[in-house]
Amino acid sequence: MSIAMPVPNAETLAKRERIARALRAIVPGEGVIDAPEALRPWESDGLTAYRQPPLLVVLPETTAQVSAVLKWCHAEGVKVVPRGAGTSLSGGALPLADAVLLGLGKFKRVLDVDYEDRVAVVQPGVTNLAITQAVEGRGFYYAPDPSSQIACTIGGNVAENSGGVHCLKYGLTTNNVLGAEVVLMDGEIVRLGGRHLDSGGLDLLGVVVGSEGLLGVVTEVTVRILPRPETARAVLVGFPDAEQAGACVAQVIAEGIIPAGMEMMDRPAIHAAEAFVNVGYPLDVGALLIVEVDGPAAECDFLIGEIARIGNANGAVTSRVSDGEAERMAFWAGRKAAFPAVGRISPDYLCMDGTIPRRRLPDVLRRMEELSEEYGLRVANVFHAGDGNLHPLILYDANVPGELDKAEAFGADILRLCVSVGGVLTGEHGVGIEKRDLMPEMFSDADLKQQQRVKCAFDPELLLNPGKVFPVLHRCAELGQMHVHHGALPHPELPRF
Amino acid sequence: MQTRFPPEALADPAMATSEGVIRKCVHCGFCTATCPTYVLLGDENDSPRGRIYLIKDMLENGRKPGPETVKHVDRCLSCLACMTTCPSGVNYMHLVDHARAYIHENYQRPWHERATRRLLAWVLPYPGRMRLALELAPLGRPLVPLMKRIKALRPLAAMVELAPAKVPAPAPMEPVRVPGAKARVALLQGCAEPVLSPEVRAATLRLLERAGCEVVFAQDEGCCGALVHHMGREGDALAAARRNVDAWMAEIEGDGLDAVIVTTSGCGTTIKDYVHMLRADPAYAEKAAQVSALAMDVSEFLAKHGLPAATPRGLTVAYHPPCSLQHGQKVTEAPKRLLAEAGYTVRLPAEAHLCCGSAGTYNILQSELAGQLGARKAERLSALEADVIATGNIGCAVQIARHSGLPVVHTIELLDWATGGPRPQALKHLPQE
Amino acid sequence: MLEPRDAADLAELVADAAASGRKLELRGGGTKADFGAPREAEIVSLAGLTGVVDYDPAELVLTVRTGTLLSDVQALVAGEGQMLAFEPWGDEGATIGGTMAAGVAGSRRVTAGSARDHLLGLTAVSGRGEVFVAGAKVVKNVTGYDLPKLMAGSWGRIGAMAELTVKVLPHPREVVTLAARGLSPVAAHAAMACALGSNAEVSAAAALSDGTVLLRVAGFAPSVEARCAALPGLLAAHCGLEPLEDAAPLWQQAMTGAGLKGAVHWDVHLPPRAAPALIAALPEGADWAMDWGGGRVWVCSDAEDDAVRQIAAGLGGEARLIAAPAAMRARVSAFQPRAKGVAALEARVRRAFDPKGVFVTGRFAEDADADALSA
Repeated sequence: MSIAMPVPNAETLAKRERIARALRAIVPGEGVIDAPEALRPWESDGLTAYRQPPLLVVLPETTAQVSAVLKWCHAEGVKVVPRGAGTSLSGGALPLADAVLLGLGKFKRVLDVDYEDRVAVVQPGVTNLAITQAVEGRGFYYAPDPSSQIACTIGGNVAENSGGVHCLKYGLTTNNVLGAEVVLMDGEIVRLGGRHLDSGGLDLLGVVVGSEGLLGVVTEVTVRILPRPETARAVLVGFPDAEQAGACVAQVIAEGIIPAGMEMMDRPAIHAAEAFVNVGYPLDVGALLIVEVDGPAAECDFLIGEIARIGNANGAVTSRVSDGEAERMAFWAGRKAAFPAVGRISPDYLCMDGTIPRRRLPDVLRRMEELSEEYGLRVANVFHAGDGNLHPLILYDANVPGELDKAEAFGADILRLCVSVGGVLTGEHGVGIEKRDLMPEMFSDADLKQQQRVKCAFDPELLLNPGKVFPVLHRCAELGQMHVHHGALPHPELPRF
Repeated sequence: MQTRFPPEALADPAMATSEGVIRKCVHCGFCTATCPTYVLLGDENDSPRGRIYLIKDMLENGRKPGPETVKHVDRCLSCLACMTTCPSGVNYMHLVDHARAYIHENYQRPWHERATRRLLAWVLPYPGRMRLALELAPLGRPLVPLMKRIKALRPLAAMVELAPAKVPAPAPMEPVRVPGAKARVALLQGCAEPVLSPEVRAATLRLLERAGCEVVFAQDEGCCGALVHHMGREGDALAAARRNVDAWMAEIEGDGLDAVIVTTSGCGTTIKDYVHMLRADPAYAEKAAQVSALAMDVSEFLAKHGLPAATPRGLTVAYHPPCSLQHGQKVTEAPKRLLAEAGYTVRLPAEAHLCCGSAGTYNILQSELAGQLGARKAERLSALEADVIATGNIGCAVQIARHSGLPVVHTIELLDWATGGPRPQALKHLPQE
Repeated sequence: MLEPRDAADLAELVADAAASGRKLELRGGGTKADFGAPREAEIVSLAGLTGVVDYDPAELVLTVRTGTLLSDVQALVAGEGQMLAFEPWGDEGATIGGTMAAGVAGSRRVTAGSARDHLLGLTAVSGRGEVFVAGAKVVKNVTGYDLPKLMAGSWGRIGAMAELTVKVLPHPREVVTLAARGLSPVAAHAAMACALGSNAEVSAAAALSDGTVLLRVAGFAPSVEARCAALPGLLAAHCGLEPLEDAAPLWQQAMTGAGLKGAVHWDVHLPPRAAPALIAALPEGADWAMDWGGGRVWVCSDAEDDAVRQIAAGLGGEARLIAAPAAMRARVSAFQPRAKGVAALEARVRRAFDPKGVFVTGRFAEDADADALSA
């Protein structure tokens, strides 16, 4: 593994038992996990290549408990890593040896649903899909739909600003969150935003969404729910190669069509997904485009036709429109399970998440193929075609020495490629630790320092989820905003990763 | 997921299989959404993904199982919902089975746990002992409050509470002879079901006869081994499997069998897994494969061979799909379709994928969690405003009945009734149509 | 008036001010100068930072310098059949930078999101006089903290944007307004809630004090046609609907509060269901217009007290003092005061960008209070 995590604080490590005792006083019962064997399952998130059992796991059930835990940890200088369902693909929820892992898994309630004002108030541990399940009975749904929606939590979605198939039309998490209750590292509970739109003052909610667990712990979320469209239709369009598929995507957008979802899979991804769902994907195409349109039936009919026309105009070899809701769901099931489904064809995978200008897709795909040959590692591609968000899945075997390093280097090259064509390191999975050291590829020192100053405003002692997102952990004092507590600088010299 | 099993450990087929299962997991977490214990507790250790880690850690390091690992593995219902959910094809069942066996071999449980498990293993697989235990249960009922206060005695309390107020008369065990039978099947005699609910077998025999099947009961057949298997008593389970394979092979090699029909889905899952359980036994591997291939849930068989003509009874049925049927055997549509075919209005509850908490010995050994799951399931079923609750597993029926006011019957009872059989005992109270 | 020509000029100006303790007020077109308390500061005009940097219609991305006129931007994208989906509006001379810094959004906000939702990236100068980049030129990006969100609606308090990248979306091929008449605020809200909660995909919903309810249906012709046909049925229990040809002036009033009577202008944001209660609680003589399905209520009156703010707060909302006589603006803060913890946090965040308070001009009194809070 080439990514270095912060050197554990020996004093924190040494007082582990005391920390456990103190936390148990706050969260009784089985809410504190300290047995080494029981810490193992917490040692990684969706980025399984990186593992680190946490110092302890604490599973609070109330905001007050979260506040008390953070307050105590803050006073003692103990780091905290928040965790939802541990599905982050960028290591955002990777524990630290000297950090308390704060699991929000017990915050599972949907607190309130206001269908008239179209909002739902949920606890952070409620899964993405569970929000929709809670409101679908009245004809509503929650739009952002990461492929991990069955398991990932709204808290994690907020932290990662997660996207999904529908974010092209309905936006990322940040566009669908109205408010949040956030507990800061010092235990202070703040409410950002609310049931109303656009609070005054600085958009702190906006910066908390996507902060990857570094600014505060989200303990309640107010989301916007949407009326379910009258109709949703999906069409599978197969192309000989990805370049033609990419061109089709560009033309669809250029003609003013913003589909509800537009996804692309390459041959390996198609095969893996078909093996899991058995829905009848065309297996003899080079790229498969899944386009979903929703809305009134008339609109869907019209758009389906347009898309078919555009597809043919770009060399589509197969085209299939969903015949009913079940088939549409099945079309998507394979896509949503594409990531884990490659588990069938490869023991391990690294999922990249760059966004590129769609017009550069052919170049990027070509270069990725070259890199694949250079590195000797297969790659299966799944894209959010509509917004240029690539998910190359680098297939490797963790049990083969050196393959992880190769996969990481390959992934880093892919992301550098994305940046070089005018894109970004991550479109929806976050920076985490996975892309941390590549941040200077996209931002200058001044840019990064400015970002870190925001961190310092929320967490001056840098205790909340440290070691993520930013390649160099500066002391807040070095960033020109020093907070001296108890006559001492709070943080010893931080290592350069 | 990366594994570091030492080479010599992989020489053991069970270890090698487990390693393969673990390697398949990509840690995506989908399984957490459908795991009853994770849904209840929110602790990663109580999720399939967490247990995979715990088991990996234990097996990989050849470690003596730690109490935490044992606790969380014990909490697993073996409902196998995770297998249905996993997009990566992780065979959690074989992994947790191996883990339970490993724990049984290498972990020294507290004496009361050992005593309880020994008692369960001694009683439950044997109908005679089961009947005796049920008859003695009322004697222990007054002690239940006291027993609940002593942690070591809670499983005993759960056992007593699970016992019916009255032990029903034994189920018939007459083979069915049908001239010109369309099929010849063996019906699993089972262990708990015939004692707790003899009507199920009766209904099954009637329906199968009506469907034109010759039904036999294999000589020397006994408990499928599921209960002891899930307690990690690998040796006992394999012995049971061998015995049953021999019993059914005798029939197969005799007059032949078209199916081994099972009316308790938990047992069905295990019998279908004989092929894996006995894979390393040269003397039984092939025979087990034959037996597993023949094993079918009664609903599977009927869906395939056709249901006799039915007379709608006008009831709304809340169908509870047993985990061992929907997840373990992947039989999901057949029971619902059969019930609908028979004229019933079938409704499926929210969280249908979640276990009711019965799960074999779970409602004895993990009575608290089982209680929570049972209550939750009953609430979801109540919300359907149905006339009756139907399910395909005796354990689920007993569990749900404890938490619900509605009558609970086996699917086959409703099908039997619709196709000409008597009204199920549990529905006597309903007005005649 | 300082007039930097580029980001480097701007950075130098800010650095000088930081070093010498001077206060700077950023200005685009200056159309929002009367928002906030009267104050003393050197004006920095960003009007000179003008021009289109990059526009790829198919990528749905536009990069412009912040001094570029809003009207020019709108014209540019319209020429490609696209629009700024958050429907900004502004007086003549308004700049895209000012619009974004003010966080303006029109009626479509209720379905398309606010200005913040469409700001993808920027280049700005912090209060330290440092040029920094945040966000990117793609529609999907979660790389690092979402600093553009902080900039949108920051009203020039944390930094000067020199360049910004926004998301553009296709302009609807058809737009139809359906109107209802004579509805009480309660009925109006109910109708709007029903419409917005239906799958007829209403893109905007507003109500005027005269009882008029406006519903906008936009999109491809076949779809618009179908939905316009369906809506009356969906709202049958609430009202009757008719197409309205000349709806622009009505929308203008609902969207901007234009035409309302009174010297004191409030912009109240609140849960839509609370809008009728707000209106009911307004003092006699107050004028109002409702947008965002009830989520925004413009209130105008001559009362120079903060009663409106208190009512809004009690209903789970907040009121901004958009316009008022100078004396009132000096006394009543422009934004509704934050909770103590939020104010302290906001102050720390502001100082992260502007440690010397170069942009803290006294325009927003609560900034000083918050600084005191968190110090």
